[in-house]
Amino acid sequence: MSTRPLIHVVDDDESLRTALLRLLGAAGYEARGYASTGEFLLDPPPDRPGCVLLDLRLPGPSGLDLQQALARRGLPLPVVFLTGHADVASSVRAMKAGAVDFLTKPVEREVLFEAVERALERDARQREARGEAAVLRERFASLTPREREVFEGITAGKLNKQIAGELGMAERTVKLHRAQLMSKLGATSAAELGRLAERLRQLTPSEPAH
Amino acid sequence: MRQPTVASATRRPLCGRFFPDWIATTALRPVVLASHVKPRRSWPVSSFPRWLAVNALAAVLAATAAPAAPAAATVETTPVLVLYSNGRLLPANVAGDRGLHEAIRAPEDHPVALCYEFLDSPRFGGPDFERVFAEYLRGKYAARPPAVIVALSQESLNFVLRYRAELFPRVPVVHAGIDRRILASLAPLPADVIGVPVDYAISPTIELALRWQPRTRRLVVVTGAAEPDRVLESQLRTELATLRNRVEVEFLAALPMHDVLTRLANLGRGAVVFSPGMFQDGEGRVFTPAKSVEVMAASSSAPMYGFYTTFIGTGIVGGSMPSFEAMGREAGNIVSELLAGAEPGSLRLPEVVPQAVNVDWRQLRRWGIDERAIPADAIVHFKPPTLLEAHRNEVIAAVVVFVLQGALIILLLAERRRRRFAELAKEAQRAELAHASRLAIAGELTSSLAHEINQPLGAILSNADAAELILESGGDRRDELRSILADIRRDDVRASEVIRRLRTLLARHEVERRPFDLGEAVHDVGVILASEARRRLVALDIRPPTERLPLVGDHVQIQQVLINLVLNAMDAVVDLPEDQRHVVISVERGREVATVLVQDCGPGVASTHLPKLFEPFFTTKPAGMGLGLSIARTLVEAHGGAISADNAPGRGAVFRVELPLTRNTKSSRRSRHEHQAADSRG
Repeated sequence: MSTRPLIHVVDDDESLRTALLRLLGAAGYEARGYASTGEFLLDPPPDRPGCVLLDLRLPGPSGLDLQQALARRGLPLPVVFLTGHADVASSVRAMKAGAVDFLTKPVEREVLFEAVERALERDARQREARGEAAVLRERFASLTPREREVFEGITAGKLNKQIAGELGMAERTVKLHRAQLMSKLGATSAAELGRLAERLRQLTPSEPAH
Repeated sequence: MRQPTVASATRRPLCGRFFPDWIATTALRPVVLASHVKPRRSWPVSSFPRWLAVNALAAVLAATAAPAAPAAATVETTPVLVLYSNGRLLPANVAGDRGLHEAIRAPEDHPVALCYEFLDSPRFGGPDFERVFAEYLRGKYAARPPAVIVALSQESLNFVLRYRAELFPRVPVVHAGIDRRILASLAPLPADVIGVPVDYAISPTIELALRWQPRTRRLVVVTGAAEPDRVLESQLRTELATLRNRVEVEFLAALPMHDVLTRLANLGRGAVVFSPGMFQDGEGRVFTPAKSVEVMAASSSAPMYGFYTTFIGTGIVGGSMPSFEAMGREAGNIVSELLAGAEPGSLRLPEVVPQAVNVDWRQLRRWGIDERAIPADAIVHFKPPTLLEAHRNEVIAAVVVFVLQGALIILLLAERRRRRFAELAKEAQRAELAHASRLAIAGELTSSLAHEINQPLGAILSNADAAELILESGGDRRDELRSILADIRRDDVRASEVIRRLRTLLARHEVERRPFDLGEAVHDVGVILASEARRRLVALDIRPPTERLPLVGDHVQIQQVLINLVLNAMDAVVDLPEDQRHVVISVERGREVATVLVQDCGPGVASTHLPKLFEPFFTTKPAGMGLGLSIARTLVEAHGGAISADNAPGRGAVFRVELPLTRNTKSSRRSRHEHQAADSRG
């Protein structure tokens, strides 16, 4: 996994697309151009850090559609929208859908680079978050069904005795499961278990974070 | 005018007048004149036929009334003997008698009976003839001797002077038409022989001729061979002697008429002819002076001047002449005075019958004499009456008609002008509305227009930034910089093209009437709306015609109409799934019209809305003003076209814009993209 980010430029206007690629190239970014969202989706980007510069008004599936499609595919690249004419409705929709930025053409170099940087930062953060979550999910997956039930009980703040009573097992057995799952999840205290449970809850929905 | 005379026929003997007498062949029947018979005015030549007709009628009535004469015999008439030297129908006599007749006034109960006698000189004459004639008069007037004798011209005066004592002693004599020099030679006349002398001097006529023809070098005088001709000749020779130093005078005296005519025909330039006429030529042929002059004037190669007013109309230019009618009038006045009881010696008479310039207008024209040279008091004969004189009523009617017509025309022009102004105002208003409508369209297109402009601008800026970075990074990357500059230039042109189109659409321009190609206009509509169609995710299918469709009008307005229709169509499909949003513009060519069809696949127009669609303020859109289609209709109709809407057989609405084609279609085929589609899906 290369660490060098790749910037995807999706704009149907060849002239503008070329100009943006030139500019990004001159600034030291690696960039790749697509004439449409379809073209971009047909040629799935490698799993590299990066972001998407997307024309809001594209033929075919719109920029907003693309953003959602990427998220569904688990490639939640941050998106910076570019538009020739910003109307309130589409900008609100874009920001709600998690756009990093919403730039109006013609766009100043600094503004563009700042937005790109911000997007890459977010991507990095998200990647980091996604990495941590993956470990967590893996560990959680190694729990047996009994251990999972005990975990839920603990994170719900119940006492061992209560858990034993609800699950119909001896208190000793509960303690055994508890030691086992804490070791599997790499937690040292009940409080830490609670934090893990919270993170898991956050990661469970398929939507990108926040 | 004749009616009083005719009416009087029932109660008194009627002798008619010259023509009635002649026609009724009752030559010697006396003419009865009463005071209430108004003096006739002279008959204008132009009314001669009417005069003749009336006279003929009078004659017939006179003839039929003859049996009634005895019943009127009780009225006492006063006979006046009128003795002429020549024949009855000599024009001079006719004119003289007219004057005489006019001037005689008599009391109601003693009407005058004019009794005419003619010596018929020079056909008849000599002592034997005179004797017989005297005997005839004696017998004829034995019962009723004349109260006055009128002697017209020299021969009759001579006769009267010789026979009066024998025939009608102490009856006063009035002479007329006799030259003052002859009278002087007869002097002294008896005290009861009176009259107004005539001045037959020809020098005024010659002066006139010399003034009218200033280049005259030669005066040719033609006289005859009869006794009176000889007398006149000698008078003329005497009188013309004074002119010898101014002009060469040549007499053609007593020549055969044939010779006279030959000589006159070959006069050449610088000559004028004068003639008192002749009674007889050198071969003994008899003429009346007027007839002889007529013959001469017909042959003469130089303008001819004459002696008597009776010559006017025979072909002479004119002359300064005493009028026979005036002579007759003077005699008639004297007769009236005498009948009223005046003493012959006590009358105050004019010294001479005045001369007047008489001219024949046609001859003036023929000889090129300046009309302005005619003295103001001259009597101009045969001048065609002016239009007003000839047809006074018709002319007035025509003038009135012209005036009315003119007024009507002015009124109509004013009305037309007013209407034109109204039309101009309407046109201005229409242009204003059209402009407002275009502004509205532009407002609707703001988003796509901004996109279209910002797209190249964005590219330019990014290219410029890239170039800057490349330059900062150093190294030789000229090729890249060159292609960047080329792209910048291309994008700049692109942006300015959009602005130009926008300006065309938005500018408040004068309404044009220029030929343009409908296909081109449709094509441009496609270009203008491509971006908007993309924004709305509508497939806009433009199908311009393959051939040129020439129209005359304002292409911006026509484009505006089409843009309006297409935007409406795009509105109609906005609620459909993206892949079903289709709008098609196509053009059909007819014989005289071209039809643009704008078709959508939306829900169509409700049938109840169809009739009201083009009315102002009718709208189905929540935010619509309802002006777009009404303005579209106004604009199309201003181009002589029609706009209509209907629902397509399948689905959606069809709007048709029919526009008249220019007549002389040069069907120059132009190949354009046969099927140009601006499809938002690329």
